[in-house]
Amino acid sequence: MSTVVNVEEKLFQNRYKVDHGRPHISIKKPEICANDCQSQQCTYVCPAACYKAEGNGSVTLITDGCLECGSCRVICTEHTNVAWEYPRGGHGILFKFG
Amino acid sequence: MAEKFDAIVVGAGPSGNAATYTLAKAGLKVLQIERGEYPGSKNVQGAILYSDALEKIIPDFRDDAPLERHIIEQRMWMLDERSFVGTHFRSDDYNKPPYNRYTIIRAQFDKWFSSKVREAGALLICETTVEQLLMDDNKVVGVRCDRMGGDVFADVVILADGVNSTLARKAGFHGELQPKNVALAVKEILFMPEEVIQARFNIGEEEGVVIEMMGSVTEGMVGTGFLYTNKDSLTIGVGCLLSDFKANPKKTTPYALLEKLKKHPSIAPLIEGGEMKEYCAHLIPEGGYNAVPQLFGDGWMIAGDSAGFVNAAHREGSNLAMTSGRLAAETVIAAKAAGKELNAKTLSAYKAALDGSFVMKDLKKYRHLPDVLETSPQFFTTYPELVTRAAQTLFTVDGVDKASKQREIMGSFKSARKLTGLVGDAFKLWRATR
Repeated sequence: MSTVVNVEEKLFQNRYKVDHGRPHISIKKPEICANDCQSQQCTYVCPAACYKAEGNGSVTLITDGCLECGSCRVICTEHTNVAWEYPRGGHGILFKFG
Repeated sequence: MAEKFDAIVVGAGPSGNAATYTLAKAGLKVLQIERGEYPGSKNVQGAILYSDALEKIIPDFRDDAPLERHIIEQRMWMLDERSFVGTHFRSDDYNKPPYNRYTIIRAQFDKWFSSKVREAGALLICETTVEQLLMDDNKVVGVRCDRMGGDVFADVVILADGVNSTLARKAGFHGELQPKNVALAVKEILFMPEEVIQARFNIGEEEGVVIEMMGSVTEGMVGTGFLYTNKDSLTIGVGCLLSDFKANPKKTTPYALLEKLKKHPSIAPLIEGGEMKEYCAHLIPEGGYNAVPQLFGDGWMIAGDSAGFVNAAHREGSNLAMTSGRLAAETVIAAKAAGKELNAKTLSAYKAALDGSFVMKDLKKYRHLPDVLETSPQFFTTYPELVTRAAQTLFTVDGVDKASKQREIMGSFKSARKLTGLVGDAFKLWRATR
């Protein structure tokens, strides 16, 4: 896809109550992403671009912009390497319109 | 908090609100737990409200529910990169009250529905995530929350916690969602003056239009685009099967797909100048009949998206959610009145009620559709392109005689799908939708 789309601009319109220091999603074993996962689909399927493919082959996750859809967990079929919970009550995305 | 309730409902979306309202109206002691700051703050939908399902719960909802526009025209577009062929169905019958369907804004609508739930006498607790179900042997006896000092107990727990269905999954009631059984949809809301919307869509005050799109906008993935008119905003979005997003060799992101849709020459003029105020994403359970999990057990039932109640072919979900929530509640009310224990045997009446309703009848009717579409991407790529090209060939006046044009069109269909392919596709679609 040639069009570069800046998803941060989209996410900037949203309201969040970030639970600082308590991310609700984590990568169980980062070495599996780096060594065993060829496709790293989370890096292009996540609609909030929370997952980034790093130059050294690893995948990093920052959940602040998470839309809580669940896609990352569902697509990680081969390695089931995503530990996924809802944020603590009241935290995370707060849809104004939904 | 060792207080015991007749029922606990997890979630304040359409199914959870329908269930809680129905239980509270019947005088039962019911606790509803919502993880959002307010009901609606975690909920995403297109959104179309189908009146019938809500009328059966709150007959006079039109008096004060926040409704955007009633739909008088349904458009279905097949697109290629530069054009579209569309069918539009507009009827003045849809312009006579009581209206059949409306666009709504879920955060506002859910807040309203929740106010009715509380008026009916239910206790609602927000900003509280349920972490797990509490079991006594195989029976669900309550829930563990991330606040309120922990555990709450009830005779029955109704799981209306949405598509990810975290609680039933953790309890082992069903497995993980399959990527081929869920669509990932992203959308934006674009604000603009009412009069602009009315002029662009050829509608009057309070009248609305729905556009569903298939074709090049999904890059060969199984999915559709949509554009809905709200009062002073438009909702535009696109959704495709998660398995297709994952397998797409172009590795297109959902937001890039949405941007491409917004730039389509047939769409761009309709949304021009709209001020984007929110970007959402959501999974839609589209696995249909064959993906519906176990729906009840000792002390629990599952409703709405968590149970996979979406009729993808007709873009219906919230009405199935409300109906299933209501039927779950009615099952509890009837069992309580008869003095029965709320075990699997008693709660099987919920499944029977669903089977007798449009919820399971419709899912059953289209039970082959998910498999057919998943294995037949031609319906989402080849055909829309063939149709738009055929229209262009036929309608371009360029000195070529019409018989030759007709032969060219027939030839393009045959070379794309072969005669056997065309007949096979027709048969597949007939079988999947009959």
